Amino acid sequence: MSKRQVVLLATAFAAVAVFSTLSFLLVNTAPQGKPLKNFTAPFVYGRFAIPPDNPLTEEGVELGRRLFYDPRLSSNNQVSCSTCHQQSLAFTDGLTGSVGVSGKPLAFNSMSLANLLWGPQFFFWNGRSDSLEQQALIPLQHPDEMGQDLDELVQELEQDTTYRQLFRIAYGGISAETIAKALASFQRTLVSANSRYDQFLRGEIQLTEQEEWGRKLFMAHPDTKASLRGGNCIDCHSQFLTSGFNTKFDGFINNGLDDEANLSPGLAEVTGNEAHRGVFKTPTLRNIAVTAPYMHDGRFQTLEQVLKHYNGGIKPSKTLSPLIAEADNLGNFSDGKISLNLREEEAQAIIAFLHTLTDETFLTDPRFSNPFSDKAK
Amino acid sequence: MTITKFIPCVACLSLLLACSQAPEPAVADFNSEKTQGLVLLSGLPALGTKDSLAIVELDPESAKFGEILYEYELPEFDAPLHHLYYSPSGRLYATGLGTQCSLAEVKLVRSASGAPAVNDVDCLNTHGQVVGEDIMWHAVDGTQYMFVTFMGGTGLDQADGGSVGVFNSQNNELVTIIEARKSVVGEGQPYIMYPHGISAYEDRMVVSSTVHPDLATGVGNAVTVIDLNTFEPIENIITEEAKPVGFPSSPVEVLFVRPSIVAGAQPAVLVNTMFGFETWKIPYNAEAKTFGTPEKLYDGAAAGTGVPLEFYGNEEELFISHAIPGVVKRYSLKDLPDLVSSGEDIQAELGAHHMIFFETASGRKLIAIQNNLLNLGNAQDNDPTDVDFIAKLNDHSVTVHDLITGERLGAVNFKAKFNKGIDNIEALFGSGFVHHH
Repeated sequence: MSKRQVVLLATAFAAVAVFSTLSFLLVNTAPQGKPLKNFTAPFVYGRFAIPPDNPLTEEGVELGRRLFYDPRLSSNNQVSCSTCHQQSLAFTDGLTGSVGVSGKPLAFNSMSLANLLWGPQFFFWNGRSDSLEQQALIPLQHPDEMGQDLDELVQELEQDTTYRQLFRIAYGGISAETIAKALASFQRTLVSANSRYDQFLRGEIQLTEQEEWGRKLFMAHPDTKASLRGGNCIDCHSQFLTSGFNTKFDGFINNGLDDEANLSPGLAEVTGNEAHRGVFKTPTLRNIAVTAPYMHDGRFQTLEQVLKHYNGGIKPSKTLSPLIAEADNLGNFSDGKISLNLREEEAQAIIAFLHTLTDETFLTDPRFSNPFSDKAK
Repeated sequence: MTITKFIPCVACLSLLLACSQAPEPAVADFNSEKTQGLVLLSGLPALGTKDSLAIVELDPESAKFGEILYEYELPEFDAPLHHLYYSPSGRLYATGLGTQCSLAEVKLVRSASGAPAVNDVDCLNTHGQVVGEDIMWHAVDGTQYMFVTFMGGTGLDQADGGSVGVFNSQNNELVTIIEARKSVVGEGQPYIMYPHGISAYEDRMVVSSTVHPDLATGVGNAVTVIDLNTFEPIENIITEEAKPVGFPSSPVEVLFVRPSIVAGAQPAVLVNTMFGFETWKIPYNAEAKTFGTPEKLYDGAAAGTGVPLEFYGNEEELFISHAIPGVVKRYSLKDLPDLVSSGEDIQAELGAHHMIFFETASGRKLIAIQNNLLNLGNAQDNDPTDVDFIAKLNDHSVTVHDLITGERLGAVNFKAKFNKGIDNIEALFGSGFVHHH
């Protein structure tokens, strides 16, 4: 080996060493994300907890927003999270079953992503995901949704300077885990708190007579002995302003969509408990007027159809919620038909109230919009 | 003359020592905010501290017991904020003992970490009404109002002042002022004077006549009945017998016992008299809408207690605080409006006043009692606002007790620890009680 060759070899080794060190530092730098500023959430919705290992940071949220809207997260680079979770529809997609990379409609309706801060566990209609971080990677890999291989995705993102920088600052590097953390962080900031009902709660406006009547019906369980008429909504939708429940499987119920023979597995698919057949997560009602179609399988196209279901369409089964089975404004339990027996004008009042839950600010908030769109740029 | 001269013997301490088996902890699902108290703190002039609203940990099992978890410095007003109330829709309000901010809405939010924080304290336009005391939300003919007692009425210069402000419970705007000064309405006519306590049932409201805010000009001895159909006072009922300190009885807090509190209860008004040391019952005939002859249920001078103050209730019991010697007496809720003891007194400290109820992660049911009458200064500290007899009823502490046994599990002395007095306590997570008047 000539002297020149030795020098070249030594230089090459040195270059590799420097590159390796730099790469190591780039990939493994300690996160330096700044705590998220100018973020407040309504106190009245109750407490929420952010995972200690994934605090909300400016960079983490920005990163999550980019990832959320980036079609490169799918195997064909055409489907992003926002394909099935569109801001103008309160992060739903208006379809009975969402359509991803396979082109096959899914069996389930896209869920709204509003106010996930207050429903920190048991995501998806059947509660199969324990955390937002865990949830984030499931549709990414699902063959019908985004069909993405996570290792390939990490490699793909490594090629993007912006992602490399943001990931380094926010989380120290790119990995499946940090992708999930970023997506979860962005979704946690999707706070909807300026509907007419929020403004009512803050004392800023009055509801109309019909809306107020609907509110009262919404909040009441019918009691014929006390001459109290009610829509029985609050029994299951006690967390209707947020997106879930804190305690165990609270909020998972069978609302009588199917009879015994046709019950879907629902929560039983997760727990293995027969008593959970046909039991699904009670969704938020925030922005419900823009999140049609309704129910876990999107079987109802309108709120009128939903009310009609509770007003005579309930199918009995072993796991039907007793709160629904026992709710009857006429007390006609003996006729074998389960129905709220609401009057038409009462159903309309409830629907009017539900419309007060639409939050136009949320639906158009630029902080939640597509960062790749011309408008955002 | 000081009230402390008349402090009777302290009742013997006899705690119930029955042990309770704590249920299995459910720490994973436990809401830690249930053990946090929201406290109004007063800066003590001689100690260089300022008024604030703070969140304090009150779980004796917590390593952070007694620590201030969050503090919001309040603007400087001419007197402290004194009472906190959550509205039925979860909005937080405070009344103030001064003229600059006698009624305020406190805007609570949560930060990015989920921690509660105060965003703003919005002093409301009371249209000249000063020295706010108690708030009650009550519906009249289907419309809900926020009723507020103003002990100073529409001016501290009025020797017989006092008013009840009726506010729109949505936008906080004043609807009307219920005012009927003795000197204006004439002899023998129903009046409102120095109103403090407030309670209502259907279309009848009662407010107490306590003491002029300067604590010198005058003292009341009656409650006023207000017809909510007309927002007019229609009757005064005197609740006074012995005068153990030589002053009029000074009715303070009132509680209209009604079916919504105790199913099937015969409606009646309970009245604590601050200087009479007594608790009275005024029967009410809901059909005839008439009040009966007042009956003295409890005589503090005879029983060794003084300055009865607050009525608080949970699902099973009614609790009455007595600033002297610093005890909380407990009564069976189902036996109301009669006072049937449900257990031994909870031994707090001088100035026993407001209270909250909560449960710890281990499932233990607790009561926290604020032991402080009023933070108006102390001669020993060279405070310019000293009112000596009140200073002697200020222990400046919150004592935390097992609700079942009364055993004291811990105490936080705010003066010793933070150089501040404490004016009020409310549970951060909800009101911390079922009934409060």
